[in-house]
Amino acid sequence: MSPPPTIAGDFFALLAQHRISPPHVHASAAPVETQATTVFAFHFADGVFVAGDRRATAGNVIVTETVEKVIELDSTSLLAIAGVPATAFEMARALQTSFEYYRRSQLQALSLPAKVRALSRALRDNLGLTLQGVGVVAPLFVGLDNTALPARPQIYFYDPLGAQFEAADFSASGSGSTTVRSILAFQQRFGSPTPARMTLREATRFALQTLMVAAEFDSATGGVAPESARFATLKWLGQDGIRTLTVTEQAEALS
Amino acid sequence: MTEEPYRWLEAMGNRREYVLNQVKGGSPVFAVSLEAGVLLLGVGSGQSKVFEIFDRHALAGLGHPADLERVRQMLIDAAHLEAFTRAPEDVTLRRLVSFNLSPQIKTVFEQLFAPPFLVRLLLSELGATRDRDSLIKVQFDGTYSLAARGLAVVAADPADEAAVEDWLTRHLPATTEPGLAIDTLLLAWRHLAHGDELPEGELPTAKPDLAGLEIEAALLRRSTMRVARFETIPAR
Repeated sequence: MSPPPTIAGDFFALLAQHRISPPHVHASAAPVETQATTVFAFHFADGVFVAGDRRATAGNVIVTETVEKVIELDSTSLLAIAGVPATAFEMARALQTSFEYYRRSQLQALSLPAKVRALSRALRDNLGLTLQGVGVVAPLFVGLDNTALPARPQIYFYDPLGAQFEAADFSASGSGSTTVRSILAFQQRFGSPTPARMTLREATRFALQTLMVAAEFDSATGGVAPESARFATLKWLGQDGIRTLTVTEQAEALS
Repeated sequence: MTEEPYRWLEAMGNRREYVLNQVKGGSPVFAVSLEAGVLLLGVGSGQSKVFEIFDRHALAGLGHPADLERVRQMLIDAAHLEAFTRAPEDVTLRRLVSFNLSPQIKTVFEQLFAPPFLVRLLLSELGATRDRDSLIKVQFDGTYSLAARGLAVVAADPADEAAVEDWLTRHLPATTEPGLAIDTLLLAWRHLAHGDELPEGELPTAKPDLAGLEIEAALLRRSTMRVARFETIPAR
């Protein structure tokens, strides 16, 4: 029988014990990166709304229009990835497994601060690729603070070195984020309703329209085109967990 | 003790007797494959009988809590390592039991100067359809058997199990709603734990006396969008 991990419930300690670690890529020359994205999150009336476009590019080539950039890490955590997909998806997979491993082995869910730091650690472990410029990831994290009553969804954003910050109202990442931040800031200051007061339908419509505008100014952001049934990845986190908006719901919100 | 074959066999027999004696007071556990999913039930003191192992896998058991905990941790470690290094779809009950759990339990049982696992276990895997569900009983010596009738009972005395399984097969159709199935399983629990008669014909609706213990019930739910299918069912 294998000895217990040095830190109870730590999946990465278990991996180290079995001499398995998340793969590290050692690049000596910069390959063509597959990246560029627009993901954003904002507080709305029922919780936190998270949106992401679905395009992946390599240079000026569109690789695909069907990428899922908003990933459920567990039943109360969402990761919106911006940056190099190879690194970001692997990071998400490691976090997914480690959060569930902790919950099952310790018979309680990992706290929100611990999840926030786990992502920070994953980014710090990726420092080598970040400094080489071939594995940069700048994600958003949305999680539920169960210590608050009622439970409160929160938004965190990171720099590629792992520094974490809580966003009071909204946050955005990726190549289209400048446009998105401007729209969100405008709506926050002058809009009616403000994002925080939007209903689910209003938030859905607003998120889709924001992505449409972002795609106007950033070729690496996939737009939303209802006429060709091309939509976005939209999820929201409320006190009862995560919900994904279907293509039908997105089409209805725009009608 | 081990230099002569007879002595070794005698020691094994004594060890078997010792384990059965130790788990004699254990509270029975059940697993039933229903249309809604795989229902597991135990009656204990809360988070002590029925556990989530992985996305589609759960464990119920009786015996010493510390040994049950060791087995639970062993299974969780193996399942998550497999899911991470390969894929969650590669985590299967057959492989968890035959390549991880069973050999380790057998090795410990045959080490005469080390304490054996004082447990009897019931593991379940949710399939896409009911006929693809798997229920496996694992014994303290590492032997295991697949339950063929879509339900399995693990009781302190293995001799009691077959009769209760027969009774449950007659009284628990696969279409039973999980909440109602719990009531039927509790009648079987009363029979095994306290010797109550198993009723034939229409089943009584009064809730059986649980002697101050808690119902621990969980469902590996078949129709849900969630990846983790395990959900606890609150006592009604």
